[in-house]
Amino acid sequence: MAKDRTDLMQGTLELLILKTLSHDSMHGYGIAQHIHQSVDNLLKIEDGSLYPALYRMEERGWIASEWGVSENNRRAKFYKLTRSGRKHLDAERANWDRISRAVTKVLQTA
Amino acid sequence: MKDLTRRLFNPAGSEAIEREVEEELRFHLELLTEQQLQYADTLEEATASALRQFGDVEQIKDECVEISKRKRPLTRALKSFLILTFLAGIFVRIFAAELHVDRVGQMLIVISVMGQLFLYVRGLKPAGFRPKSDASSPLMLNTSTVKKPASLFDADNL
Repeated sequence: MAKDRTDLMQGTLELLILKTLSHDSMHGYGIAQHIHQSVDNLLKIEDGSLYPALYRMEERGWIASEWGVSENNRRAKFYKLTRSGRKHLDAERANWDRISRAVTKVLQTA
Repeated sequence: MKDLTRRLFNPAGSEAIEREVEEELRFHLELLTEQQLQYADTLEEATASALRQFGDVEQIKDECVEISKRKRPLTRALKSFLILTFLAGIFVRIFAAELHVDRVGQMLIVISVMGQLFLYVRGLKPAGFRPKSDASSPLMLNTSTVKKPASLFDADNL
C-alpha cells in the first residue's frame, strides 16, 4: 500500500528551512508552521526535527540566531539567513532542479 | 561555593546551553499546545497531541545541546583564558610580591573577573533582536484566550 505522506529526504529539510528564511527572520515554531502550510501536508515533518537541523545549519554558518520578542510578547529565538546561507540556498536550489528534472525524465521513459 | 567553582570551571557553559535549548523547545511546545487546544477538548489532549507532533523532546534536546557545545569553541577558549589569567593574577600577588609587580597581579585578576562577568551577563540576557516584520509571520495565535499549559518538560509530560 502506498504511503499517504512521504518521509522527508535527508538534506531536503535544510533546503525548506533556507527557503523559508529567505524572506524574513522567524523562530522555530514560525518556520515549522510556514513549512507545514507550504507543503500542504504532503510531507511528514515532526516539528522537533527542525531544531537539530537549525543548530547544524547555524554551526555551518548558513543561518544566525538571536533572542528576541515574539508576536505574543514572549522571549523567542529568531533565525535569519546569512550571506553564506543565501549562496547555499541558490546552489541547493539549482541542484534540486537538476535532480528533479533528471528523475522525472527517467520516470517518463521507464 | 561548590556551585561557583563548578560554574567557573565549566568551560562550555553546559547549563546555560541546556537552559537555552529548553527555553526554545518549551516556547515551541507551548504554542503548539495552544494551537491544538482549538481541536482538543482538554488541555491534556492538546498537550499529548502537541508532543506527538513534536517528536521525542529529550532526544531532540540532547542533540541540540551537543551541537551547541560544539559550535562555541571561541567561548570555551575565552573562558579557559580568563581562568588562567585569574590564576596567574593570584600567583603574581602571592609569590611575586617582592618583585613589586602587585599591580600586574591586580590587573590580571580584574581583567579575568570582568571577562567572566561579561560572559555571564551575556549568557543571562542575550542581545535583543526583533524580526523585520511581525506581520509576515504565520504566527497570529490569540494567546489571551487560552490557558497557559503547565511546563512541558515536567516528567509527567515526557
